Amino acid sequence: MADREASSQDKIVVAGFRHFFETADGPVQATDRVDLTIGAGEFVTLVGPSGCGKTTLLKAIAGFIRPSEGSILCDGAPVRGPGRERGVVFQELAILPWRTVRRNIGHGLEIARVPRAERERAVARLIELTGLTGFEDRYPHELSGGMRQRVAVARTWAADPEVILMDEPFAAVDAMTRLTLQEELVRLCATTRKTVFFITHSVDEAVFLGDRVLVMTKRPGRIKAVIDVPGRLAGRDWESFKVDAGMQAIAEQVLRLVREERGAAAPSAAAAGAEAPA
Amino acid sequence: MSATAAASAPARLPPSGLAVAWRQVRGLRILLPFLALVAAWWAIYASADFSPQVLVSPLAVWRAFVHLVTYGVMAEYASTSLRMIGFAAVLSLAAGVPLGFAVGVNRYAAHALEGFLRFLQGISGIAWLPLAIIWFGFTHTTTLVIVIYTLIVPIIFNTMIGVRAIPEAYTLALRSLGASRLRLVRDVYLPGALPSIVVGLRLGMGYGWRALIAAEMLVRQGGLGDLIFGARTFGQIDRIITGMIVIGCLYVVVDRLIVQPIENLTIARWGVLRQ
Repeated sequence: MADREASSQDKIVVAGFRHFFETADGPVQATDRVDLTIGAGEFVTLVGPSGCGKTTLLKAIAGFIRPSEGSILCDGAPVRGPGRERGVVFQELAILPWRTVRRNIGHGLEIARVPRAERERAVARLIELTGLTGFEDRYPHELSGGMRQRVAVARTWAADPEVILMDEPFAAVDAMTRLTLQEELVRLCATTRKTVFFITHSVDEAVFLGDRVLVMTKRPGRIKAVIDVPGRLAGRDWESFKVDAGMQAIAEQVLRLVREERGAAAPSAAAAGAEAPA
Repeated sequence: MSATAAASAPARLPPSGLAVAWRQVRGLRILLPFLALVAAWWAIYASADFSPQVLVSPLAVWRAFVHLVTYGVMAEYASTSLRMIGFAAVLSLAAGVPLGFAVGVNRYAAHALEGFLRFLQGISGIAWLPLAIIWFGFTHTTTLVIVIYTLIVPIIFNTMIGVRAIPEAYTLALRSLGASRLRLVRDVYLPGALPSIVVGLRLGMGYGWRALIAAEMLVRQGGLGDLIFGARTFGQIDRIITGMIVIGCLYVVVDRLIVQPIENLTIARWGVLRQ
């Protein structure tokens, strides 16, 4: 899975990505020369302290922002804006409250003018895969937080993009639900393999889901370390993860790397929490 | 988890016959203040010997009403006013909603115009009457201009607010699904801003109706404002009061039977946006 020698297999290539934001106090540098490559079918997770520029990087790959410096390629072509080959799952609620579950999930296919029958088949399959059966005609406000995120994930998967970018998609749900959603994501990837770039601030989540884990430095963010996670993503579950010595060793290693950054970012614990997310 | 989601949907039982009857009795509450007003009016009228040039009895007003209705006068004046407010509402929506969108999607335009729109809200439509009469004369055009001006400002303002309240994630998510600008307007901006647009329409109809009556009193080209101002010339107190009551009733009818149901409909479906 972590086989990265064939460059023709590279889906996303980020080279020398630096980004600056204009603020009232002058420009703030969000990222510093980020280089990374994501292979086709790979599940890459990125973990780093809050405010390190993780979201900036994801938004640039999604095409929502233009890099101040550097290049971002998708299948060898420069990213010039958002496109349906790169789906995004956001942390906050991004499904439309005035559409039912079914119509939210089918929205991407509707935009792509996929014929109705075909659309309904794809939607039905994802409703089943994400455990939303019985809730097809509910509105988002009638669902729990975890189910809303299932709808968001299903909507992105249904549109069948080549790359899926996920920005802390499970950060806003409760801890127990999060474990379930993570395992469901593993199963979803097992049935429909996609290239996934997944941002998180949870070390366990990064190691549990990733074929490869990237650790980012504090702001301005750079890639500090790349850790390969052995074994196939398919079939991972939390119970075996917790007792797998190899996985636990990797998680500890990643935790050390992240904590170095936290320490470097803020000697006092209070300041770390005060940083605004990018 | 599925259990909690299911439980969050309120269960509605069909109302029993008794409950319906009770609700109808309670519904009569809204008539009580009106009955009190008529009673007080009658008491004042009966307490002294008023000249019919100053105050008449509710019965006289009722007779004037029946008279005006019988001879078709009331229908003539009322329909002029209703047509005018309806026409103005349609034109204001047609122009105000696109304008509100244009301003709302552009942060700089929204900032630049917010103060200006508030300034315009301060200058009531009636304050434009002198200029409008000079420019357009004592015509329906003058009335229409005043009413549209009054109606359109809250529509633009609320459309703008509605568009700006839509979370950025909605539009970003749709753009990453390949949505065009037109798609964004149809699938995100319009449904997202609709509850706010309807609020703007409702406010605008209230302001616009008042401005309409005032303009009709000065322009004197028909309408309920013309009816009551014309009656003043001949000291027809009964007609003046009849006209006032009809003005109030028509507003309530338009608001309750047309505007409010639209508002309830959008809030029932889209109100979740405001959670």
